[in-house]
Amino acid sequence: MVDSNSRSFPSRRVAWLTLAVITGASLAVVLFPVWVIHPFRPQSQRGLELSYAMRRWSPLITIMTAVGTFVLSGWIWKHSRRWWRKAILVLVLVPVLAAAWFARQNHFEWMFNPLANAAYVKTSEAGFVADNDVVMAIELNEEGAAYPVRLMAYHHIVQDIVGGTPVVATY
Amino acid sequence: MWEAKVGGRQLHFQLAGINNQNFIMRDQETGSWWQQVTGEAILGPLKGQRLKPVFHEELTFATWKREKPQGRVLRPDEGIARSGQYAPANWEENMASVPVATSQILDKSLEPRTLIIGLTVNGVSKAYPYDAVVRQSPIMDDLGGLPIFVVVGDDKRSVRAFERTVDLRKLEFFVKPGSSQFVLVDAETGSEWDFTGHAISGPLSGRQLKKVAVLSDYWFDWKAYHPNTFIYELGDR
Repeated sequence: MVDSNSRSFPSRRVAWLTLAVITGASLAVVLFPVWVIHPFRPQSQRGLELSYAMRRWSPLITIMTAVGTFVLSGWIWKHSRRWWRKAILVLVLVPVLAAAWFARQNHFEWMFNPLANAAYVKTSEAGFVADNDVVMAIELNEEGAAYPVRLMAYHHIVQDIVGGTPVVATY
Repeated sequence: MWEAKVGGRQLHFQLAGINNQNFIMRDQETGSWWQQVTGEAILGPLKGQRLKPVFHEELTFATWKREKPQGRVLRPDEGIARSGQYAPANWEENMASVPVATSQILDKSLEPRTLIIGLTVNGVSKAYPYDAVVRQSPIMDDLGGLPIFVVVGDDKRSVRAFERTVDLRKLEFFVKPGSSQFVLVDAETGSEWDFTGHAISGPLSGRQLKKVAVLSDYWFDWKAYHPNTFIYELGDR
């Protein structure tokens, strides 16, 4: 007669450990780029490369870690009797799912508010710009467009088509 | 300001991050990262590609309106304007106190947030402190072997640069004294020129000076992306 408890003991510990590593990895892969490329902080080339790789792969990685977490948690759940262990399993899902969601967001757009649908008025109707306000001005194929710097300093990036050419105005 | 296309393919950009206080843009088509100030893809499938610059100017609205009354102007987002989130008129002064964070060693020739007018001609870059431009306009100079001049408009804010060779003759410009309107005169022919670089009277009437791109920037940012830049100093020539 083999004691089922003693047989599952080491593998259960491995399962908990793996769960902790996966949870940590989920968070690291989304939080590292946030930490490296936040404003008012110097960036190194290596840091940028790592951030780029993580931003690129984090949507896939976080889905895999989420699936792994579900499988592991299910297994541990079946072999746990104590309520607080099950509570931990539920709590672990929160950061893992949050990481999977965050990997699909562009948090820079929360911070810097790009203008989703740029609209324009005729120069004569632009009452919102003062005479001494500075505008970024371009002219392509006789078509002139002006982007007030006070708006650009808020939105930073505006897509447009001027004189038939797609342009991106940045500030 | 860049053409939003590479090899005939239109790209759509969003903000993706910050690299030493300059934005990184990400194109939705390939996911590559682009440095805003250089227009170069620094990471991703399009790494090494460059966007084509679009000639643009920073002018006061008054100057632009006078020159281009038929143009169109980007409209504020009403919700954002209503909640007062757009920059106040004096936002540039406020920016002067924001600290500078960069991994580069700061060049101390000028204070980091000195406003400069940056020119690059034939690979040679020069920064003209904005204050010097306003005080000494028009500034005759030779940059990268090309005779040019830098001039501020009658609004004391809009800055342009022009080539100053016409028919193989190098011209020297000065502001016409005692004129109610802003008029430049060249010393060689006495022709009169407006702020767009168009000759409005005199022997060269009807001629158009070629514009040279200028970038209004902070010294530290200009220096970071133009490490070999010269600095215009008072009485430089």
